Amino acid sequence: MPILMVKNLTKIYESGMIIRRYIEAVRNVSFSIEEGEIVSLVGESGSGKTTTANIILRFLKPTSGEILVDGKDIWRDIKTFEELREYRKRVHAVFQDPFSSYNSFYPVDRVLYQALELLDKNPKSPESKSLIEEALISVGLEPKHILGKYPHQLSGGEKQRLMIARCWLIKPKLIIADEPVSMIDASTRGGIIELFEKLKEEEKTSILFITHDMGLAYYISDKILIMYLGEIVEQGSPEEIISNPKHEYTKNLIESIPTLYRRWE
Amino acid sequence: MWLTMFKPLFKSRKFLVSISVFIFIVLLGVAGPIVYPVDPTGYAGPFERPPSREFPLGTDTYGGDLLAKVLNGTRTSLYIGFLTAVISMSIGIIIGPISAIKGGIIDEILMSFTNIVLTIPNILLAILIATYLKVRSAEVIALLLGILGWPWFARAVRSQLLSLINRDYVKLSRMAGYSDLRLAFEDLIPGIATYAFMSFILFINGGILGEAGLSLIGLGPTKGVSLGLVLQWAVLMEAVRRGIWWWFVPPGVIIVALTSSLLMITTAMDEVFNPRLRER
Amino acid sequence: MNNLILQVENARAYYIVENNYIRAIDDVSLDIREGEVVGIVGESGSGKTTLTNVMLMNIKKPLSFIDGKVSLFSNGRVIELNKIPREELQKNIWGKETSIIPQSAMNALMPTKRIKDSILDVMKTHFEEIHEKEIIDKAKTRFEEIGVSKDAIFRYPFELSGGMRQRAVIAVATLLNPRFLIADEPTSALDVSTQKMVLKTIQNLREKGIVKSIAFITHDIATVRQIAETLVVMYAGKIVEISPMEEIIREPLHPYTKGLLYSVVTPEPEVKKRGVYHIPGAPPNLMYPPPGCRFHPRCKYKLDICKKDEPKLKIINNRKVACFLY
Repeated sequence: MPILMVKNLTKIYESGMIIRRYIEAVRNVSFSIEEGEIVSLVGESGSGKTTTANIILRFLKPTSGEILVDGKDIWRDIKTFEELREYRKRVHAVFQDPFSSYNSFYPVDRVLYQALELLDKNPKSPESKSLIEEALISVGLEPKHILGKYPHQLSGGEKQRLMIARCWLIKPKLIIADEPVSMIDASTRGGIIELFEKLKEEEKTSILFITHDMGLAYYISDKILIMYLGEIVEQGSPEEIISNPKHEYTKNLIESIPTLYRRWE
Repeated sequence: MWLTMFKPLFKSRKFLVSISVFIFIVLLGVAGPIVYPVDPTGYAGPFERPPSREFPLGTDTYGGDLLAKVLNGTRTSLYIGFLTAVISMSIGIIIGPISAIKGGIIDEILMSFTNIVLTIPNILLAILIATYLKVRSAEVIALLLGILGWPWFARAVRSQLLSLINRDYVKLSRMAGYSDLRLAFEDLIPGIATYAFMSFILFINGGILGEAGLSLIGLGPTKGVSLGLVLQWAVLMEAVRRGIWWWFVPPGVIIVALTSSLLMITTAMDEVFNPRLRER
Repeated sequence: MNNLILQVENARAYYIVENNYIRAIDDVSLDIREGEVVGIVGESGSGKTTLTNVMLMNIKKPLSFIDGKVSLFSNGRVIELNKIPREELQKNIWGKETSIIPQSAMNALMPTKRIKDSILDVMKTHFEEIHEKEIIDKAKTRFEEIGVSKDAIFRYPFELSGGMRQRAVIAVATLLNPRFLIADEPTSALDVSTQKMVLKTIQNLREKGIVKSIAFITHDIATVRQIAETLVVMYAGKIVEISPMEEIIREPLHPYTKGLLYSVVTPEPEVKKRGVYHIPGAPPNLMYPPPGCRFHPRCKYKLDICKKDEPKLKIINNRKVACFLY
């Protein structure tokens, strides 16, 4: 059974008091993610990929359609606060902007404490302390250089690693990674990508990788979904999509991506 | 957390100067009448005397001791300003967040109401209400100014909360299973706290100036003394034309010093808390 | 080898912030020759934007030009740009001899003015007297040459799409046929499909002889690779490698170039085969750059000498690299 199943998801935004206007941000989207699979959702800004992510994360109610995580409909079957907390342990996220992921009033340790509290552990206990150090080391951070610092004292790459350390503690079944490396300098990007691959290999975590970068999607994913104007216009394995795109939009997109080892005609 | 937040303030010279001026005036208002226990409404002696050893700030047309009037007036003005701020703030801090969090039709209704209050010409309504009330205590004036002052604050709080709620760190706290209440206390309130604090100062300012304005047109408190009332009498008795400077200069100076120190406190805070400057 | 068009010699340009020097450009030398497209690549904080400002001698506080020489070669004359006052540069050099396409079109065009009026404003800084009709005719021709409808000059910037707007900026920047054009990340704010179009437009500028040479500044090697013949790699305010494009892609010499090149992810089978690398650590604070080679704290090939001595650019065949390994 797939970890995540999205069936006929549609989200329509309404605006205006008297004259109603409707914007279809997501239209009839269906896909699924198996255990230990990395699936990329590729699209430009405004294609509806972030709206899809927000619905799966239960921040936004869909207009219609179903989202099943482990066979449970996340908008119908989760009713109590406790059930929602259980869901948060199973599905977590890493966001695009490492600066806005941290509240500048608190030391960065807070994101890890929050994770431990979600697991009903006392963040100050000795057990938690060793869990935190273990998680930091596993994402390539030196605990004594990180703990107690404020967000502006860390680099973007370090902050994003710390977000992955948080996932490392929670060990969710599914991570929604919304453009997690697009704001990181190229030379440090590879390290973050490696960490997602490590989560997949070692913990069998499934990842929905949301990106506008076809190269990245090609490199990291088992399956690529191409989203355009709210719809999934094409899906397939990375090789299929790159070598044999079918939809006009995909064809145009792939032709436009600058390649490193070939020069354009 | 609060300590690290406010520490940089005390490095700002602008802030230190303005807060010293403000504290000095507050001390004048609070301790002054105790140190100089003369009845501000009684007859102290001769009419319209310039400052002397006996009457440090002179006397007015009715022989009232002006130092006593100014000290007690400062106290009343501060009291009205503070009370106005509390009232405006309480209304704004309820309406803004409800509007932001509930959204939908509740948001629309509350914001329409806020906009209506915002478009009412404040001073006009204050004049209307004040003329109906024959007896006006300091509290009534504060209530009047407070009820009219909150809309811009409610709107600002609402829009700030709307942008905060969509920040990634708020989403991450929600994903950590935070309850709404905990979210509000840990992530939302600190985010608007400095803004609310600055608004509170501006509200005090608005209260003090509002009282002075109402008093000058004869609609101030009907009993007691306030800086506005002292000025009103000075105007009525044509103190300016007749050169009785000791009547209108001290209360004027205090109002100007008070309001400009408050404004300077907020600009200094703005400079310190501006997130772009804090980043470095 | 072709004639020189612009030469930067041992230039230093520092930002002065609260009595501290941020060594944004430190002892940088670079030749731009006629008919060449030079790619300058570096990450944020590498000094590539400062280098553009030095090439134009557009020095504004807090940036200050410490020493070095920037020479422009024009019809057999050598003009030392670093000795010319700003007003004169503005009047006689910028737009006529050297020009720049900025990162965001929105910064270049006044949003409240029709493009035509922006063009006339620019011309007024160059000439005492202008013939409106002549200039507009010229602009129309240039717009057509670049592939934008000539009616676009009567529109406001917001009426054009992102790609059109960027090409309009290119047209305005090259109106007086400058010999040397700097493109500072001209495509990074655009969608992938528009990026290609704009890139082709810039390429055509040289082919049509509108400009002689181009310096293309970017953080994205895959983009610059499509257009430049020579690649200049910058790190922490220094040039670490200069090489013909094909050779550097095939075999990067400097350890930083290697790390940067192998961290590029494009949808190509070669990328999957070699994997995605990363360089540990972060670029240094340019207020206190490390002694010796500025890359040594992050370098896995570092020698003892790297911590003490600064490597100079060494010539290896037709390439240059600043590293003690060679």
